[in-house]
Formats: sequence, C-alpha cells, structure tokens
Amino acid sequence: MSKYRRALVTGASSGIGTEIAREYAKRGVDVVLVARREDRLKVLADELTDEFDVDAEVFVADLTTEEGRLVTEQRLVAEAKPVDVLVNNAGMVVDEELADSDPEVRIMEVELNVVAVTRLATCAASTFKARGRGGILNVSSVTAFWPVPGNATYAAGKAFVLSLSESLHVEMEGTGVSVTAVCPGFTRTEIFDRGGVDVSNVPSPMWLDAHDVARAAVDGLESNDAVVTPGSLWQAMRMASRLTPPPLARRMTPAIKRLSGQ
Amino acid sequence: MQLQRALVTGASSGIGRAIAVELAARGTDLVLVARSEARLKELGDELAGRHGIDVEVLPADLTLPDDLGRVEQRIADQPVVDGVVNNAGWGPYGNLAGSDAATEADCVQLNVTALTRLSQVAAQTFNARRHGAILNVSSLSAFQPFPGHATYAATKAFVNSLTESLHEELLGTGVHVTALCPGYTRTEFHDRADWDTGGVPSAAWGRAEDVARAGVDGVLANRAIVIPGAANRALGNLSRVLPSTVSRKVTKLLATRGDRH
Repeated sequence: MSKYRRALVTGASSGIGTEIAREYAKRGVDVVLVARREDRLKVLADELTDEFDVDAEVFVADLTTEEGRLVTEQRLVAEAKPVDVLVNNAGMVVDEELADSDPEVRIMEVELNVVAVTRLATCAASTFKARGRGGILNVSSVTAFWPVPGNATYAAGKAFVLSLSESLHVEMEGTGVSVTAVCPGFTRTEIFDRGGVDVSNVPSPMWLDAHDVARAAVDGLESNDAVVTPGSLWQAMRMASRLTPPPLARRMTPAIKRLSGQ
Repeated sequence: MQLQRALVTGASSGIGRAIAVELAARGTDLVLVARSEARLKELGDELAGRHGIDVEVLPADLTLPDDLGRVEQRIADQPVVDGVVNNAGWGPYGNLAGSDAATEADCVQLNVTALTRLSQVAAQTFNARRHGAILNVSSLSAFQPFPGHATYAATKAFVNSLTESLHEELLGTGVHVTALCPGYTRTEFHDRADWDTGGVPSAAWGRAEDVARAGVDGVLANRAIVIPGAANRALGNLSRVLPSTVSRKVTKLLATRGDRH
C-alpha cells in the first residue's frame, strides 16, 4: 500500500492536491490537508475519514503569506502526530505578459510557487533526514521543460521546483528520504479558471485526469523516482524538448495556442 | 542599439562591477546599486573620471522591500534609465538538510523575487518607450540540478526560463532581453558564500571582464541566452541534451570534489 503513515498536502482543497490526498487515504495513510478554504477542506476530510477510515486533519493556512508558511512549517516538523510525507502541491498561475501584469499578483505567484516550496522542502529535508525516513513530493509541471511566453513567471517557478527537487533527490541518497518531482501536462482542475487561462482549444489527447496524475505521483515517490512525467504524449514531448533548439522551444507554447485557434 | 543610462545591481564587485566598467567604456551613464555605499562611490568616481560619464549611486539591500521599492521607482523615474542589469545574486553552500528555511528563502528573495520585480518594472517602462535592454545574470547551473547548491541552481533555472519567455514576449518592441550564463568566474562570490571551489580545475575559470563583455555584446544584439567561453557553451548544450539522471551525477561529483573541509 504505502511505506508512509501521514502525508501533509498543500493546496489540498482542489485539483491534483485533492486527488493526491485521496490517493494516500486510499492507501491507508493519514493526511494533513492544507489550504485556505476551510469549508472545502472539512468536506474532504469527512469524506476521506468515512470512506477510508484514516485520520484527516484540517489545517487552514495561506502559503502566500509569511505567517501561513511559518505555521505550516511548525506542523510539518512537529513530533506529535508526525508527518512523514510532504506534498508541495499548492500553486497558482498568472496568464499575462510580464509588461502588462499587476506586480503584486506576480509576487504572490512567486511567494506560493517558489518561496513556500523552498521553505517547506528545507524543513522537511532536515527533519526527515534526522529521523532516517520520509518522502518529499514536489508538484512541478511540463512548463519546467521549456519557457512559456505569456506565463513567464509560472514556467520559471516550475523550472525552479524541478531543479530544486532533482538536486535534493541526489542530496538525500542513502538517507532513507525519497524525493520526487511530478511534471504534469494539462490536467483538468480549477487552476486555469482561476488564472483566467483559456484552454478551450487544447486538443483532448493532451488532457490528463487529476486522479491519474495523483496515482503516478504517489507511485513515483514510493519507488523514489527523481522525476515523474505522467502520460506517454508528455513524456515524448519532454524528450523532444531536450533536442529542440532553444529558439524553437521558446515558441512551442505560443504555437500550440495559435494552432488551436486562440 | 546605444544605451544612455543603465542601472546595475550588485555593482560593487565581481561580474556586476565588470559590467559597469564595460558599459562606462562604451559611454553609457550609470546608476550603481549595491549595499555598500562607500564601494559604489569609489567605483563611481573612478568611472566618471576615466570616461566622462554621469554616475548615480543608489545604495540598497534588495532583500528589503523598502530598498527594492526605491530601486523599482528609480527605473521608472527621470533621468531616463534605458538599461537594467539584474546581477545581484547569492547562494548558500551545503545540502538543504542542515540548512534552515530562512537562509534558503533569502537566496530566493534576492535571486528570484527582486529580479522578477525589477524585470517587470523594466519591461513595462521600456515597452511603453519602445526602447531598452534587460540583462539578467544567470549561471551555467541553470542548465542542470546542482546537489549542494540546490536552491542557487533552482533560482538560476528560474532566471533562464523567465528571461527566455520575456525575450519572446518583447520581440519586435525594441526592448532587448538577455540571460547571461557564466561558468566559474573569478570574483568574491564563492568566498562570500563559503563555497569551496578547490575541486574546480583552473582551466574552467573565466575572467569577469570577458563575461561582462559577452553579456553587454549579447544584450545589444538581443540574443536570448549568452554563455561566455567555448568550453562552457559546450557544457551548457551538453546538459540540455543529456538525460538529467546523468547530469545530476556529474554535478554531484563536481560538488563533492570541491568539498574538502
């Protein structure tokens, strides 16, 4: 089932975060559900407790703020009801060219997608290493593999998460701590609506199901894979991106958007 | 493209200083930003005297929101700044386990948050005038993970991705955007962060003035990515093509060879 006992999942109130929490619960792992929206976390916690008979803790925190990060870090390293898996999932996307965008929203995106991930990963690395066991699952994106004009800070943040996660994977070898980055492509979740991203023309073979992404991610951490790219189409695109000259790689996402009629 | 006045962060030493010197030699006025006012003044006097340019000194710690805000304002303010060099950067040495969240967050604040804010203000301001240049100093460590320098390498992967996207967003607007990715360069950088570089062969080291010239030439020609030095260019391209399972091991080897405490 799972070698872990309690997973702390950020951004658990929707999308891939909810599905990862459900996947752990299904495998008998207790969960700490972190997000801003208490009502949604409560509904999920009740559901997981009823269905899978696990302990599901509701932990309300806003990871775009220093205060929200600090309380989450304290829960992560607490000795009571110890957490042995960190899932760095919370993320948001801004869909605007940098020159046109609101700087405060941009910085909120960086605080969530980069600062929170770094802080929580650092705390988990120290604590889990001292205990000689644990797992860190970082949710990146295929946009880590190539720049995305129009979503510049999002793609850069995901490149950050992938690089950090891969370095940490190597640093933790032989310590009993597993580290995995999962890089999903387009996944049916709320992130696009909330970021105002029009994805109506993305062809259906490019879409992933959040549940499949969650299962691949959790399996990947169980076997300590450094990088998991769910879906064979996206795996192929990842390989292709390595051989694509940078000027073409930069234009790939705008080209997909144009081809799909946006 | 000719630049009238460039704002350079981290201008008091290393690559930032070398870029300021290079721009001064080309007749570009300067706004020098760093924490140490004394060192900035000394450099400013030297460059103003030697090249007859106008030099402003703007002491600021870019990890402090108020200081960062003053630098943002200066970019949008008069007399007109038409070049921004995001050079200030720093990275801790050692594994994440054993470090603390605040130290790693400081690195992110300087290398990512400050750079993003200054790039954004510059993009907005220069785009409105249809003229300007943004030179973001990244690193060869942007191209592959770097165990022992995890956060630093991740911040540089961020800078490369952001810069490449911004380069595309501003194509045809008259605003140039370039990421400069040096390899090991002889500066105070490694001493200040207690990086042990004893394992790095001497042939791998570049000179700050060569890096600076390549960066300034690159942004004037609007090249998206500049890797100074043929050996570094080969390495950078190799890291892109190699599976990350291989490049991770190589950088780990390099990091541990230097680890001789």
